[in-house]
Amino acid sequence: MRILGIALLLALPLPILIVVGSSFNPGGYIRFPPDGFSLRWYVEAFADPRWPRAFGVSLLIAAVSAVLVTATSFLTAYFSLRYAPRLGAALEIAIFSPLFFPSAAMGVGFVVLLARFGLVGVMGGIVLAHLVVTLPFAYRPIHVAMRSIDPDIVRAANVLGASEWRAVRDIVLPMTRSGIMTALLFSGIISFDEVTVTMFLIGPHITTLPVQIYAFIQDTSSPVLAAISTISVVMTLVAVVLLERTVGLAFFVRRETA
Amino acid sequence: MYSGERPRSVHYLLLLPVLALLGLFLASVALLFSNAFSGGGGFSLQYFQQILDRTDYQIVFLRTFVASVAIAVIATVLSYPVAMLLWRADRWRNLLLIVVLIPWLVSLVIRTYGWIVLLGPKGVINGMLQWLGLLDQPVRLMFNDTGLVIGLVHVLMPFAVISILSSLLTIEDNLEEASRVLGARPWQTLTRIVLPLSLPGAFTALIVIFLASMGAIVTPILLGGVSQKFVGTQIYQEVMYAFNMNKAAAWALCLLVVSLLGLLALKAIERRVLRNHEQGART
Repeated sequence: MRILGIALLLALPLPILIVVGSSFNPGGYIRFPPDGFSLRWYVEAFADPRWPRAFGVSLLIAAVSAVLVTATSFLTAYFSLRYAPRLGAALEIAIFSPLFFPSAAMGVGFVVLLARFGLVGVMGGIVLAHLVVTLPFAYRPIHVAMRSIDPDIVRAANVLGASEWRAVRDIVLPMTRSGIMTALLFSGIISFDEVTVTMFLIGPHITTLPVQIYAFIQDTSSPVLAAISTISVVMTLVAVVLLERTVGLAFFVRRETA
Repeated sequence: MYSGERPRSVHYLLLLPVLALLGLFLASVALLFSNAFSGGGGFSLQYFQQILDRTDYQIVFLRTFVASVAIAVIATVLSYPVAMLLWRADRWRNLLLIVVLIPWLVSLVIRTYGWIVLLGPKGVINGMLQWLGLLDQPVRLMFNDTGLVIGLVHVLMPFAVISILSSLLTIEDNLEEASRVLGARPWQTLTRIVLPLSLPGAFTALIVIFLASMGAIVTPILLGGVSQKFVGTQIYQEVMYAFNMNKAAAWALCLLVVSLLGLLALKAIERRVLRNHEQGART
């Protein structure tokens, strides 16, 4: 059982390691283990303007989506927990409902909707879709963190004459910090790597990194793809390690007991 | 923080952003309905007829459904040894958790690409088998059901590990100890205590993986190939190559209905299994 567990655990990152390994191969085709060590494909990736561009677009979309969806989640969680727990419970069901929607169906829904407003193939449209996709993932950590705030602290601030704004700024915000951090990084990673819904929303002038990788896989077997993929993996790795260092990973394995 | 205080009207403004997003989602679902049921200037079922009357499309739905159930079961079962390993590894848990989280969070395009490198005709596995002299000709590991199932199981497995581990972590240590002290053998503790208590996480994994697999596009196209039709790949082709949004919407609604039926069936099974275990625990 133990040995099987170790073998399966190591199998999980295996395809990623193979891609990373073969990106350093000097030859003109994908090969693992590599014949030698070369950064040739990284140089080629940056020489083709399409890759830095897609990378920048993905990063921008991820940053904007993460900030907006985290702010939205904070406001919603604050209103529900402070003023309307029952309405909040109902809202929560609505917030989590996109999770039960198959991605392919969601993609069609968004392309039909956004096409009406001329928002297909523009960054704004992709951001709107990513906000809906990432909302449950941003809402949960913030809600969990805010729920554990002792109501008496907020009440005490009230009694002592602090304005509501002051109580939010000096009590609720700092005490929800770990949840906000998790929400930002988690939704940022999901947006950066999202492909199934996004592939419906790209256009001739705009595409994201994962969607462009997908398009290239079908056309070419050049190791440039492995180099680009490696860069994208490193981005995700940095975000996860950042999360582990700042607030820990306990959030991912916490189960709602209530 | 709730103190029975009634919100002033200005407070309702806090809900504006979330209501806008939920409205967006709702509008997209509403448009799926209006597109799918339209045609000829009014209400029509023509797009549903175009899909449901064709035997090959019925087979696509059946294939996708059966494959998704199989993928969910395989991924959940294979996740148990990994989740158990992480559960026991107190000191190393965080490091091992990263080993699971990275494959979960790295884009599924890249993970699928890794499988292409592994399974392709000139890929690592074929290369190794030929080098060992076990094969003269490369075997076809991709563009068939094998590649599709391997790929989707692997892509969706990290979530199952995390879900089962979350359940295992709620088990109190003294429960296992009590079981041991009362004379249970290790496998009895495993099957009578640990497994039943981990079932909620396992069912969450089953449901989420089933739904993700039903709606998958990228992995089926890249590893299954165009000839191995999946509902997601059909929908994508309808939108990107046929530009038929009405028919795509009808496809999407059929997918939604089939997925919801699967979801309800899994929920019913979950309730039944959990109830049986509760009764079993009492007797």
